[in-house]
Amino acid sequence: MSLRFQDIELGDELPEHRPDIRLEIVREFAGAARMDAAARFTDHDKAREEGLPGAIVPGIMSQGILAAMVHGWSGDGIIERIDTVFRAMVVADTEPICRGVVTDVDPGTRTIVVDLTMQNEAHETTVLGTATVRFSV
Amino acid sequence: MNLDLHSHSIKSDDGRAKVENYCEWIRKKELPLDGFVLTEHRQFDDESDYRNLEDEYGILILKASEVETDYGHVLIFGVNTDMRHAYDFGAINLSLDHVIEASERCGGMAVPCHPGRPNVGLAAHYHERGPVNSVTIIETRNGGSRAGEDEASIHLAEAYGYRGVGGSDAHLVSQIGKCATRFDTPIRNEADLVAALKNGDFEAVSCQT
Repeated sequence: MSLRFQDIELGDELPEHRPDIRLEIVREFAGAARMDAAARFTDHDKAREEGLPGAIVPGIMSQGILAAMVHGWSGDGIIERIDTVFRAMVVADTEPICRGVVTDVDPGTRTIVVDLTMQNEAHETTVLGTATVRFSV
Repeated sequence: MNLDLHSHSIKSDDGRAKVENYCEWIRKKELPLDGFVLTEHRQFDDESDYRNLEDEYGILILKASEVETDYGHVLIFGVNTDMRHAYDFGAINLSLDHVIEASERCGGMAVPCHPGRPNVGLAAHYHERGPVNSVTIIETRNGGSRAGEDEASIHLAEAYGYRGVGGSDAHLVSQIGKCATRFDTPIRNEADLVAALKNGDFEAVSCQT
């Protein structure tokens, strides 16, 4: 059953999401987004030559992962706005954890705000942001 | 009383939290927090008036600033007109020594924050350039710290005899209150806060779960 606005409360937590960011997945995304000319997204060794810790996940991919998490939870909810801040690099072939928690519920507009974070294995927040989601029912 | 001495609202470029939502969150989650201080990046928010929110939620909301110096980021408490003429809050390479001296001369208090953090913290700069004698208080508990950063801050405080405060460094609603400062005396306004900091009647507390 799809999530209904009336069932959502301030403080509700979205199920944790552990995205697949193996290098081959990141490489596919970079190709689809026409970002594969930049080796920092596709090749660990070449990324390290640039001084990076390894091949990194494009920011728009991280934002997409967080948006997909919100969509997966909210069902028919429509993301009206997603706004992310990139604090640290997300490295391919690592295992980050994405979390979301409802921090505002507005019955007048049937919208909610979800705080979003992506943390790396060292519990460092690499991406944070908010999503505003509107519900029709 | 417990105050979160370090938080950001949407007034900061990277802040994503509305002040009213901080209040709602504190009450909904029953956080052990009596108030919080908004420390917007590189500015002092003169225009916002949060007195209605204070009354509605029974939460103290104070205003301060976070500026950027040659020794990292610094929280400025008790901001006033004299202080804002003494140095440029929007600059990114202020002299820490001058910021501390001018803040105190104008009746405020400057507290280096997340000192254990690479690049923007005091410890890294001390390692390269030696200590700044005018520092007396640092932030030893920061809600945004990565592993080892608070430990480095506490070590720095012990090594130099600094007092420690705590703040969440919240940029999202759900981050408020992760760290705070416990005061032995009541704080009602910015002047009380500065006086309590000068008296040393406080300790940093972590509320991380």
